[in-house]
Amino acid sequence: MSGGDRLVVGVDIGNSTTEACLAVLAADGDVRWLGTALTRTTGVKGTPASTEGALTAVRRALADGGRRAEELDVVLLNEATPVISGLAMETITETVITESTMIGHDPATPGGVGLGVGVTVSVADLGEHPGDEPAVVVVPRGWDFDDVAAALNAAVARGVPVVAAVLAGDDAVLVSNRLTQQMPVVDEVSAVEKVPLGMRAAVEVAGPGRTIRTLSNTYGIATVFDLDPDQTRQVSPVARALTGNRSAVVVRTPAGDVTDRRIPVGVLELRGAGRTVTVDVDAGAEAIMAALARVQPLEDAHGEPGTHVGGMLAAVRDTMADTLGGADPGDIAIRDVLAVDTFVPAEVRGGLAGEIALENAVGLAAMVRTSRSRMQAVADRVAESLTTATEIGGVEGEMAALGALTTPGVQAPVVVVDLGGGSTDAALLTADGTSTAVHVAGAGELVTKLIDAELALEDREVAELVKRWPLAKVESFFHVRHEDGTVQFFDEPLPAHVFARVVVLTAEGPVPIGTRHGLDHVRRVRREAKRRVFVVNTLRALRQVAPGGELRRLDFVVLLGGSALDFEIPDQIADALAGHGVVCGTGNVLGDQGPRNAVATGLVAAFAGGAG
Amino acid sequence: MTSLEIPQRTLTLTETGPARRGTRPDEVVIAVSPAFGGTFTQTIVGVPHAEVLRQLMAGIEEQGVGVRIVRVWATADLAAISHAAARLSGSGISVGLLSRGTTMIHQKDLARLSNLELFPQSPLLDADVFRAIGSNAAQYAKGESPQPVPTRNDQMARPRWQAKAALLHLKEFECIRDGAGPVELEATIERVAG
Repeated sequence: MSGGDRLVVGVDIGNSTTEACLAVLAADGDVRWLGTALTRTTGVKGTPASTEGALTAVRRALADGGRRAEELDVVLLNEATPVISGLAMETITETVITESTMIGHDPATPGGVGLGVGVTVSVADLGEHPGDEPAVVVVPRGWDFDDVAAALNAAVARGVPVVAAVLAGDDAVLVSNRLTQQMPVVDEVSAVEKVPLGMRAAVEVAGPGRTIRTLSNTYGIATVFDLDPDQTRQVSPVARALTGNRSAVVVRTPAGDVTDRRIPVGVLELRGAGRTVTVDVDAGAEAIMAALARVQPLEDAHGEPGTHVGGMLAAVRDTMADTLGGADPGDIAIRDVLAVDTFVPAEVRGGLAGEIALENAVGLAAMVRTSRSRMQAVADRVAESLTTATEIGGVEGEMAALGALTTPGVQAPVVVVDLGGGSTDAALLTADGTSTAVHVAGAGELVTKLIDAELALEDREVAELVKRWPLAKVESFFHVRHEDGTVQFFDEPLPAHVFARVVVLTAEGPVPIGTRHGLDHVRRVRREAKRRVFVVNTLRALRQVAPGGELRRLDFVVLLGGSALDFEIPDQIADALAGHGVVCGTGNVLGDQGPRNAVATGLVAAFAGGAG
Repeated sequence: MTSLEIPQRTLTLTETGPARRGTRPDEVVIAVSPAFGGTFTQTIVGVPHAEVLRQLMAGIEEQGVGVRIVRVWATADLAAISHAAARLSGSGISVGLLSRGTTMIHQKDLARLSNLELFPQSPLLDADVFRAIGSNAAQYAKGESPQPVPTRNDQMARPRWQAKAALLHLKEFECIRDGAGPVELEATIERVAG
């Protein structure tokens, strides 16, 4: 208006946050940045409900820059990223124990040390057991530890070779401490009544801090039970299932077996521009991703109806149809999938003591493009409320790249990688101003899901905290040991509910994680989940935008988005890119906004460029 | 093991001198109230004190941790009893016990009125719960992270047992010896023949 200066505000409505950037454009094209603002997105982005958040962001940016709404000339809105993503996860293996052949639940406190081989006898029948055969005593629930020890001692005194015991309750150390003759004792076998009696059995317990050596070795089992080569081949899964345990029981039954069954998950059909490729989902993530690479660019993906993968993709389509506000699920074309191999702890079927086996699973993130954006409705409402002209700006990726250029030390050509919640987006802006953008499925939400599943947390909120914050172990009320091994002391005692627990150190204080796993295991799971999603996806997206698909030909890579604020993801990506000679780092928009506000800033910059 | 068929056992608690502060980091101190195993011999719902102590000690022993028993004479307040015991414990972990069965796991650095785990509804505590409490206390002493013992809750417990609990508390209160320090106890638990 006056003097040719114009006051503009760029607004970026994202999935979770709405950001605004306020600037004055001089007639000569000079841009003076005045203020920024960040608020929560109201409703789903691009729907009329998100107007409220946009208005809040504009008002806050005006307040930040010390201006009034009446002075505003133009409001610039982004065209939202035209992708929506969905997630599904399915286990593809199942461990089944038939005829109660093995007990491998690894109780915390077994008793005694060594290997005992004999015939299974109930403690109730121990009195009549002949004195010539070694006995493995099976004790049902309801027996007191004093009585068990007395019965075993009496049998030993009678000359019966008692070589081992299997208990229902948590009594192994108590019984061991009361025995006149030491023997391995395994306890907490909850379904002990299912242990077949009168069968040959071997019980092994290793010393504290050690693992069993005989029953976790196929030939060890063959030696103990005198097996022929065919039978030896059959017991191989038993030995594998017991690896790493401190205690185990193997019972030899005529037809008993442990199988590692693969669940038929179904076939995934990937339809590309020129060809269609089908891939078996139980072949694992690597095979799926290789098939996907062969059909690029993907036009749609389908799962075999009536199978797990069919169900997975149908679930993804349904959620997307809901998000899009009543679109027909059949019209939704899946444009990218990310498959991730994962392990899910699951209870073994046929187990006697609640054995847990790590089953293989595949996590799938899928993404669709949407054409119908309702941003115009939002723009109309914003214009009405503020009585200002409102424009919908260019492609989000290009805007983000323009915003990223305000990071000190960055120049075109530049690639921005937006590490979001549902998708990872990359955009290349060349020196002559042309831009290419790609979107790949899988981001922060998939990481949360992997952490949740692999740690068996069954609590999305806690999994989210594990993803966001570093870990520590509370060692006393006055000190914690951080995940890097350093110790921090406190003057005020920590709250009682975190005592002796593995915690995440959030901004609001320590929050305990309900897991049996140690800090190191949780940390490994968290880092692996991030690597498998963000590092893999960043490389995948960069290869698609890089000239000739070669990462070496990229110069500057700027990381943006909420996950770029993470305490380790940017480092992991930078490490992975270091070998390609690429300059990579977290963006610092306008020199002080960090990886935030890039799109809003880019909108203003693009408008200034167009006007100038 | 179940509370239905507990064989008869007798509990004898012998004082062996004033309670000392422990130095071993692998011990849990169990502290009993003035009337425990003396004026009273069972909890509010009839679990024998012999069984209560036996199961607590078994839970601790199963974890490979040592145990000492003390009696706090000067108070019948569970938090005060438990906290006094925690400060005597080499590991800083204690289990406090009232005659009627109310139980608490305490730690020496906590405020007196705080606790690690509290089992306030004495009528709901049976032998299995006492075993689990002992086991958890020992795991805290080892620096492990046990899942808290599931606390049962019964809305009817309060109206049904409140009067009896109040009477038992008065009786316990009468056994207090003002100014007397905590004493070390030796527990002998014997099975009644037959």
